Amino acid sequence: MLFYTIKRLLALIPTLLAATMLVFLFVHLIPGDPASILLGDTATPEEVAALTRELGLDEPLWTQYLIWLGNVLQGDLGTSVFFGTPVLTVIADGAETSILLATMTMVWIVLFGVPIGIVSAMNKGRWIDQITSGGAMLFASIPTFWLGLYLILLFAVGLGWLPSSGFPSLTDTGGVTNLRYLILPSLTLAAPNAALIIRLVRASMLDVSREDHVRTARAKGLRPSRVAIRHIFRNALISVTAAFGFTFAALVSEAVVTETVFSLPGIGRLVVQSILRRDYPVIQGVILVIVVLYMFINLLVDLAYARLDPRISLK
Amino acid sequence: MMAVASIRSVFAGRTFAQIGLVWLAFVALAAIFSPLIAPFDPYEIDPIARLTEPGWPHLFGTDHFGRDSFSRALYGARMTVLIGLGAVIVALLTGGLVGMLSAYFTRLGHVLMRGVDVLMAFPALLMALVLMTLLERSVMNTIIVIGVVYATTTARILFGMTLKLKGEVFVDAAVCSGAGHASILFRHILPNLVSPLLVQASFIFAFAQLQAAALDFLGLGLPPEVPSWGNMLSEERIYVTRAPWLLIFPGALIILSVFSMNLVGDAMRDSIDPRFKDDIAGV
Repeated sequence: MLFYTIKRLLALIPTLLAATMLVFLFVHLIPGDPASILLGDTATPEEVAALTRELGLDEPLWTQYLIWLGNVLQGDLGTSVFFGTPVLTVIADGAETSILLATMTMVWIVLFGVPIGIVSAMNKGRWIDQITSGGAMLFASIPTFWLGLYLILLFAVGLGWLPSSGFPSLTDTGGVTNLRYLILPSLTLAAPNAALIIRLVRASMLDVSREDHVRTARAKGLRPSRVAIRHIFRNALISVTAAFGFTFAALVSEAVVTETVFSLPGIGRLVVQSILRRDYPVIQGVILVIVVLYMFINLLVDLAYARLDPRISLK
Repeated sequence: MMAVASIRSVFAGRTFAQIGLVWLAFVALAAIFSPLIAPFDPYEIDPIARLTEPGWPHLFGTDHFGRDSFSRALYGARMTVLIGLGAVIVALLTGGLVGMLSAYFTRLGHVLMRGVDVLMAFPALLMALVLMTLLERSVMNTIIVIGVVYATTTARILFGMTLKLKGEVFVDAAVCSGAGHASILFRHILPNLVSPLLVQASFIFAFAQLQAAALDFLGLGLPPEVPSWGNMLSEERIYVTRAPWLLIFPGALIILSVFSMNLVGDAMRDSIDPRFKDDIAGV
């Protein structure tokens, strides 16, 4: 296992370097002079000249990349054109909202996705399975923002039960009760992802249920519910774990839309607004953070997978 | 290969997939004949008829420019088909080719598939957003961006499937009979991959709709005046309380079409070679 972990960590390095190179090149792909792009339209020629020197923009691309990578490793992601503050601070400001939103969404996904998937698999082919499987596919077919808009219309505008937009920090007045601002957004975000987990839990449970040990468990007279949970679900969980890396990517993508619908001050909306503001340092910074995070989550998922199924690390 | 006759067997007993197929046929017909069916010009602005409720002559009502929503929805079917097919073609041509070549030429594959791994580190919509910041908003660019996003998954799937086929006896036989690389790849291996490719295509088609709608919503997809279902939602969302029908119709059209495509893809997946079933994720 240790050997496998080291092997995977080493394998990550070239991919990570290549990905950072792409993120670095992003600013160079925009037509125009990189220093002017990074400083925005209001920059004076002196400022442009200063940044050109600082980032070595008159040096060959390789040197520029190394300078940039060196800065990144020291936590310097540049300065936001719009806010005038370091990019890292801008991203950190959105982190609270995004992390809380993601956590709450994961709770819904597990809470709804797993049990419904189990029930669906246990009743394969019966009406309850057809409704849940069909329903899951239907939910995966709904545009996130459309669902969000109608949840706002129903629960915020119509019934007035929940706030429709924004999110005050947990440290502001209201404290933990401010989490109610995230209920509708997290449900919106959870719907398509829970749908995928339902279908995945169902499919992997049906796969496992064809195995010999399950027949043995049934043959020795165990209750069907016990067979389903202890013998089938535990093993099915292995392949469900593998899907959580994918779920993270989906969450990031759909959070961009959801945070925009609900005007949440998170990283997702930051991306969209930065694109519209042409705040390229922030765009670059956010992409870098997300890509690195995604790679490490995938690594953790793979390691968890290998831990749950020792056959993997021996391959 | 999935012959026309076997389409019947694929959809036999699957009522919902059949309904999905019928709906998709409707969408295709609407796309082809939209100029003939549409009662109004989808771009024509009529300030007097702003936000008219659904009725006659405006079946789906009018938007805040007074444009006829039904006509825009009909033309929107065009965008749906265009973006779906376009994304499928881009994804299969680029990703499919990379995947097949990588599996067949092992050394090349080492390089290309690492490249695919790197691109896979960018979550789908994020990658689309980044690409759209570099490109102008246009129909063509939206198609390319969405196609490229799904090219990576397609490459991985085709890599796996080609690898499985490469070890088959019929490939050895082709090699022994002196067939060249191109002939083995495209005349011996590719025909066996046609049905799984169709399944993959149907899922790309479905996902592409959701991606395109999300891009439209964020103001980074098709140019705002283009009548697409995503743009209709995006443009009229501030009127959701005053004119809820403006969001119900295009929303329902997107959901129905994506759902239908997923149902069709699901039905087709159950009927393909079981060896390839696990390769294609779908919904």
